[in-house]
Amino acid sequence: MEIFVAQLLNGLSLGSIYVLLVLGFNLMLVVAKIIQFAYPHLVVLSMYVCWGMLKYTNNMFLVVLASIVSCVIVNVAIEPIFRALSKKHGLDINVSFVVSISIALLITDVMSHALNYGFPIAFPTDWVGKSVLNFGLITFSVGQAYALIGGIAAVALFFYLLYRTRQGRVFRALSENSVLASIIGIPVVKTRILSYAIAGLLGGVTAVLFARLLGSASPSLGDFVAMKVVAVSILAGLGNLKGGLVCGLLLGIAESLAMGYLPGSWSNAIAFMMILIIMLIKPEGLFGIQI
Amino acid sequence: MSPVIYYFLSFTAINILMCWAFYLPYRVGQLHHLVVSCMMASAYFSGYAARQWSWPFALTLLVGTAIGMLICLLPSFAIGDAPCFTVVIVGLTVLFIMKTAIENTRALGGTLGFFGIPQVNNLLLLAYLCLAVAGLLIYRIDNSRLGRAASMVFVDRDAASALGVDVKRLGMLFQIIAGGLAGLAGSLYAFLIGSLFPEFFNLGVIGTLMCMLFAGGHSTMWGVVISVPVFEGLHLILPTAVASWLQVIYAVTLIVVILVLPGGLITKKMLVKVGERFRARPQTVSIKGGIKE
Repeated sequence: MEIFVAQLLNGLSLGSIYVLLVLGFNLMLVVAKIIQFAYPHLVVLSMYVCWGMLKYTNNMFLVVLASIVSCVIVNVAIEPIFRALSKKHGLDINVSFVVSISIALLITDVMSHALNYGFPIAFPTDWVGKSVLNFGLITFSVGQAYALIGGIAAVALFFYLLYRTRQGRVFRALSENSVLASIIGIPVVKTRILSYAIAGLLGGVTAVLFARLLGSASPSLGDFVAMKVVAVSILAGLGNLKGGLVCGLLLGIAESLAMGYLPGSWSNAIAFMMILIIMLIKPEGLFGIQI
Repeated sequence: MSPVIYYFLSFTAINILMCWAFYLPYRVGQLHHLVVSCMMASAYFSGYAARQWSWPFALTLLVGTAIGMLICLLPSFAIGDAPCFTVVIVGLTVLFIMKTAIENTRALGGTLGFFGIPQVNNLLLLAYLCLAVAGLLIYRIDNSRLGRAASMVFVDRDAASALGVDVKRLGMLFQIIAGGLAGLAGSLYAFLIGSLFPEFFNLGVIGTLMCMLFAGGHSTMWGVVISVPVFEGLHLILPTAVASWLQVIYAVTLIVVILVLPGGLITKKMLVKVGERFRARPQTVSIKGGIKE
């Protein structure tokens, strides 16, 4: 029972990271109509920025700021590529997917050649933190607490922005019908750029939380997380934000439970197997596509 | 023949086969990344069968192809007509599961790799023979009712369905054939390299193959015949310092090609024009020693 509770807490922390990633990914999907496969790679790149910043300063505020700024800048810098793409091909999600896979490859290769000589990075032990809760086998580290609380706060703010503010209404209008939205005076390009910026901001926060949770990162982490994020989005139903919230948490919990009860790397394979089975049975997702 | 040329030609043949495996399902708008899993499974099976059971090359090639087809057959019942992104994720998911399984299987060498696959005489010749047979098959499919139906599905899936095209069966058929081609490529790859590592079969391979397909032209089978030797040749031409950034070069090329030349270098339209030029020569009639059109 203790193992179960420990893994459940672990799963909630991991799940909240997945939820943040899926929200950022889905925001760009519903507003800009692109599948940004490279989004988790950007988050990993921001983890490298965090690590680099930590080498020079131990100031938490500066580290978080550097992570957010880098993620926002790179994500917004990618936007013109997709805009040119949608002018050339119309809103073809498949083509955007191919381009985003190549951006992902580009980021991964740059990380594996130019950053830390391609070696994985490790964050200082005090960055991950000591355990805040110790009860038998149950330990809850500071990193896990940050991931869980930070994740909940970021999700709450995101949903507040989307459903309680004027800008949120603009996002939702654009996702419903971009032609009508432009007719009633919504600046389509500006709103799309803003969606990239907000997704970048979420990505920057996620990078810090992820770094505190894992304590390490490697160039291949992006591929690994990207597969899960896209899979969770499809599983929930592409563009379905609430579905993404539920499925992200469920994946985190399932993965952690598998990690607790299965040996080594098999736990990830089990998580992927679950995703595969559900996707084969219900290719349109559990909660329905909303794009 | 120098080893450099030998490996260049062999990898060209294998990559053209793999690009064709990507090309066929893309005819119906599906990016079928599952073919990399088929290549991986077939390569490991062929290597294991040749080393442990001393199976002859031809038999491993046949069974390897069948394994590729079988791996694609099972999911195709569910994803035969699924949207492109679902097919992509199913492909990547299966690839990851398969990699994990191989990494945890001691008999296949685990993460350390599988070594000692026997050499085969005249492998290059056999590879090009397989390529010719596969090319003929794809050419026949492209110029048949199936090919025309696939073109219709690519342009408008609903219209094709309304006109009586069974989109799911067509998707399944193309996925299975693609699996067979990838299985064949996997078997050839195992015998060419002589050792296998699970790390090789990753997103980088998918990116490289997609780059070759899209740069050459995804609407015809002939595009990759030009793009693959060019991209393979980059290894040989570029200085080592630049060649180590090959993935970046591939990624940038893919983005630029999609933005500037959406159809790739060779398009179907271009081939039709070339064909018309050769076929429709003006008729000449001789009138009193002169020539009149």
